Amino acid sequence: MSRVCTGPSRVEISEVRKKFGSKMALNGVSLVVEPGTFTVLLGPSGSGKTTLLRCLAGIEQPTSGSISIGDHIVCGGTKFVGPEKRNLSMVFQDYALWPHLTVRKNIAFPLNSSPLSKKDRVARVDNLLERVGIAHLADRYPNELSGGEQQRVALARALSAEVGLVLFDEPLSNLDADRRDQLRIEIATLTRDAGVTAVYITHDQSEAFALADRVGVLRNGELVQYSRPEKIYRHPKSAFVARFTGVSGEFAVAKVREVSNKRVEVQLPFAPHMFIEATTSENSSYDQEPHLFVRAAGVTLVPECAAEGALGVIRDVAYNGRGYEHVVEVGEKATLTKVYATDRFDRGDHVKVLFDPQSCFVMNAQEEV
Amino acid sequence: MTTSTLTHRLVARLRRVRWSGLVLWIVLLLLIVIPLVAFVLVAISPRLFRQGPSYFTLSNISAAFQGYTGQGILDSLWVSTLAGVFAVSFATTIAWIVQRTNIFGRRIWSGSMWLLLLVPTWMTTLGWIDVVQPGELGSALGVHTLFFYHMFFGASGIVFVNATASLPFCYFVISVGMRGLGSEFEDAARVHGASRLLTIRTVLPIIAPALLSAFAISFAETMSDFGVAFTLGSTSHFPIATYTLFNAIYAFPANFPVAAVIAAVLILSTVPPVFLQARVMRGRSYAVLSGRTKAVRRLQFSPLARIGVTAAVGIFMFFVIGLPLLGAITSSLTNSSSFITTSGIHWTFQSYRDVFNSLPSFTSLGQPLWTSSQLGIYVATGTLILAFVLAKRLASRTSGISQRIADVFLLGSIAIPGIVLGVGYIFFFDQRFITSHIVDLYETMPLLIMGLIASSVPSQARLLTGPVGQIQSSLNEAARVHGASKWRAFLTTSMPLLSRALVWAWLLTFTKTISELAIAQILYQPGHEPASVVIETYLGTIFASIGSAATVITLVEMIGVIALVLTIFRLATPKGWRRVGEAGVRS
Repeated sequence: MSRVCTGPSRVEISEVRKKFGSKMALNGVSLVVEPGTFTVLLGPSGSGKTTLLRCLAGIEQPTSGSISIGDHIVCGGTKFVGPEKRNLSMVFQDYALWPHLTVRKNIAFPLNSSPLSKKDRVARVDNLLERVGIAHLADRYPNELSGGEQQRVALARALSAEVGLVLFDEPLSNLDADRRDQLRIEIATLTRDAGVTAVYITHDQSEAFALADRVGVLRNGELVQYSRPEKIYRHPKSAFVARFTGVSGEFAVAKVREVSNKRVEVQLPFAPHMFIEATTSENSSYDQEPHLFVRAAGVTLVPECAAEGALGVIRDVAYNGRGYEHVVEVGEKATLTKVYATDRFDRGDHVKVLFDPQSCFVMNAQEEV
Repeated sequence: MTTSTLTHRLVARLRRVRWSGLVLWIVLLLLIVIPLVAFVLVAISPRLFRQGPSYFTLSNISAAFQGYTGQGILDSLWVSTLAGVFAVSFATTIAWIVQRTNIFGRRIWSGSMWLLLLVPTWMTTLGWIDVVQPGELGSALGVHTLFFYHMFFGASGIVFVNATASLPFCYFVISVGMRGLGSEFEDAARVHGASRLLTIRTVLPIIAPALLSAFAISFAETMSDFGVAFTLGSTSHFPIATYTLFNAIYAFPANFPVAAVIAAVLILSTVPPVFLQARVMRGRSYAVLSGRTKAVRRLQFSPLARIGVTAAVGIFMFFVIGLPLLGAITSSLTNSSSFITTSGIHWTFQSYRDVFNSLPSFTSLGQPLWTSSQLGIYVATGTLILAFVLAKRLASRTSGISQRIADVFLLGSIAIPGIVLGVGYIFFFDQRFITSHIVDLYETMPLLIMGLIASSVPSQARLLTGPVGQIQSSLNEAARVHGASKWRAFLTTSMPLLSRALVWAWLLTFTKTISELAIAQILYQPGHEPASVVIETYLGTIFASIGSAATVITLVEMIGVIALVLTIFRLATPKGWRRVGEAGVRS
């Protein structure tokens, strides 16, 4: 494979397994990343997302399975193509900027194996320096830059070679919240402008949903759901996916009655007077220890005098700039968090809570692993 | 199962074998393990190596602990303990003054410790002899030196030289501990009512690991030292284990079984302190006590006290390193057996000219100096390559059994005295089954080079493990992912980041090699003696000043090569290479 870009790469990962000693880090992961899309692999620590990315990069060799990038099989059977021949680039979690090279030389590094003339290389580096907003830092060394500036250099380096695939290994995890939001937007914009295929890993669901065209959720070395962000949010395949992608509350269900296909009504122990409408998952049953999972977006607070709703007490309130996030106690040891309202309810206020059926899911609490 | 399946499986299994690791272990086994094990084995099984009638006996062990050799072992133990106590006491005092007060010339005192580190013990001893010998420098300065002369040629001289020789090691270790000891500990003690004395007593245990570590290093260094034992111990008839070991094999007939017992004792006595030190360092790192440790606050002496303390440290350092060097220099600048003659002092460069001329019954020093320089280059280069490969394995993120064995093995090997390695080599490589059927290296230059590399690799490998381990694997991975081959990734990322450490490892090995005495004394090729060996033959003769001149030339060469290599490094490498390792710039 040459490092000359022939457009965004299609990535196909098939039944990839990776063992470290007796530990199975990846257990038969298969997925296809379409050219020019931004895919985010989401999962907790130890889920195998970093291992998968490193296998994709060629830093780790899978124990079995195959990986294709573009039209080339880079790994499979006895074949293993080294990272330098995979026509990809990568933004590392710790940035991995070479401390002995200036910003300009760091960014120019991938161009060493490019067929471009020296003049064109300089022009490309200058262009990237401008695009990521660090032209004034070109002759500095990495240790003379802030974390955000270092991240920009790493991004510019990854984009400089104009390869077909860019990998991101939790690139925002070392930054503070403000810089993270700003850089997340820059990563999304610059990567999409470059027209490359991107594979990005993170453990932050909000980051994943903000960036991704497709999200893959990993757990214990297995890909448990791979879909559009909206679908993962609205139709989580399992309790794990629901929990990991953010729920406001999770409650044991006292009684379930089927209403229609994919729709049920549940009765909660702390609100025996009412039934709450919820969605079922096509992949997860609710026949053993069913729980109700509630997304924050599907909860509305109304005054206590409202006709409908479950009774609750405001336990905490926080102003977030656009409105208020509340913690609501709806029963003994049953609370809803991050419940948004434009109006403030004070601590101790009695309220009623309305649930949107689209944002409530009924699934077994314990899952098959 | 078919033959082709079996063959396929065998091929697959062979592919999985890490050949580089296997080759490395074979090299280490041949260089260190097999010669030493064979040598030590002769202590209990002399017949196995045609050194006695028994296949198994403990009589050599009891023989080694009696008489002259037994006295040597006992002397070594108490001398090493005493030298350790003195070295730690001096080093703690100087480290505290330099690190925690506003003394003048902080860099000078640290620099002089580096100079002291470079000077081998035999050189210091010869320098002191040139000072205290009646008629030499001391007498010229009007000091009645006979008393000091007798003091020096005995246990006190041996303890003194060894204590000063291990002073730099102790100083560097304790300095690191003191630098990491933020002033908040002292502040906490003071605000809770502690007096200055009680504050010191409260804070001192925090750097106990550093003190213990320093003592362990000093003890191990003195136990394994051959330079002082050979130059001073032999002349003053004060037996030291390393010298009795040397004597055992150079007596006629050579007594290898007893020598092997002494070797085993030396190894056993030096290995525990080194392991203890490693354990203390690993468990309670004194380098960084707390992420929030505040910057060190220095005690502000009054102007007069500041001058006084600076003068005291200056006098001490002059006494420790300046005076013996001055002794060697002044002795080399006179062309007689005595500094002062009946007609006064005659300054001359004749001794320097004589270094390169042949003298009756003496080997000319010109060729040995050249031999030592060549040895230095070969050994430093060989050591650097092997130590780097080992360091890479030790610093590897995957902590396999091979890595752990290598770690423990290298730690233990650091403590193996050069004399033991040398004698082990001469014993093992003179075995008939080796010389007749494998290779005859006995009394050849390659054997000496192998021995010197074997003695340098463990310490250099462990020294390099730190810098190698500091390089995040992602830096190399980033190079690979962005199009660099394995080799190019090494040249463009690891190499620049390690360049400073590699240069210093080479320089340290080079300087240690050209001044090395123990292994050189045993393994030199007849007719190609290194300088350190030949200089010893001049000791106590009327040509001693020529030996002093050669000593000074060797020292100047060591410093000159360091200056030259560092200058080349500065001029030839890009700015970014030199930035790594400077304050605040981490790899």
